[in-house]
Amino acid sequence: MKKKKIFHRAKVCRFCADRDIIIDYKDPKVLRSFVSERGKIIPRRIFGTCAKHQRELTEAIKRARQIALMSYSGSMQG
Amino acid sequence: MRRYEMITIIKADVAEDEINTILDRMEKIIQEENGEVLKVDKWGLRKLAYLIRKEQQGFYILTEYAGTPAAVNEIERIYKIDERILKYMTIKLQDVYIADEPSEDEDQEESDLEETETDSSEAEVPEAVATDSSEADVPEADAIDKAE
Repeated sequence: MKKKKIFHRAKVCRFCADRDIIIDYKDPKVLRSFVSERGKIIPRRIFGTCAKHQRELTEAIKRARQIALMSYSGSMQG
Repeated sequence: MRRYEMITIIKADVAEDEINTILDRMEKIIQEENGEVLKVDKWGLRKLAYLIRKEQQGFYILTEYAGTPAAVNEIERIYKIDERILKYMTIKLQDVYIADEPSEDEDQEESDLEETETDSSEAEVPEAVATDSSEADVPEADAIDKAE
């Protein structure tokens, strides 16, 4: 059996580390770095965001999408 | 009384006067329910992230008010009928409205109504944060490596 090389890196929630970043749906420039090119929300396991902030983030992104500050599909630049 | 925040997108070709009448009407509804408009912030024209009724641009207005659910219902009912309004979204900020320094709030409201371009302060903050978006790409790449 092939041994899988596991790469670990200490992941720190960005919002916990830097309290100046406020998660707000009215501020899509912050939110944009947390979605993929396709506009999908990047999962917590990849970014290491803590559960609390990921929840806030998800809600903010969904609100921003609703009010056309962010796109659902991500193909258009906004 | 609850505290709400509302974003309204109005068609780009609607005149300034008409926007003001829409806002006045909204204020009247809120006041009828003994509510209070706390903040009116006109963001101005913005590009929409996706087409809404085939429109590419919209005039964004952010309002904050204390009101009752009945007032919200009435505003939304009217907005739904109004052809000039592309989209709106109401968010409840507080279940019980707590006034924060009422004297200061009133001053702010007046100045906001006079100034149409208040988005300069908004634009500055996100830019500072946007710089670390390059950093954000790194963990994503790691994840792909792991998957292989």
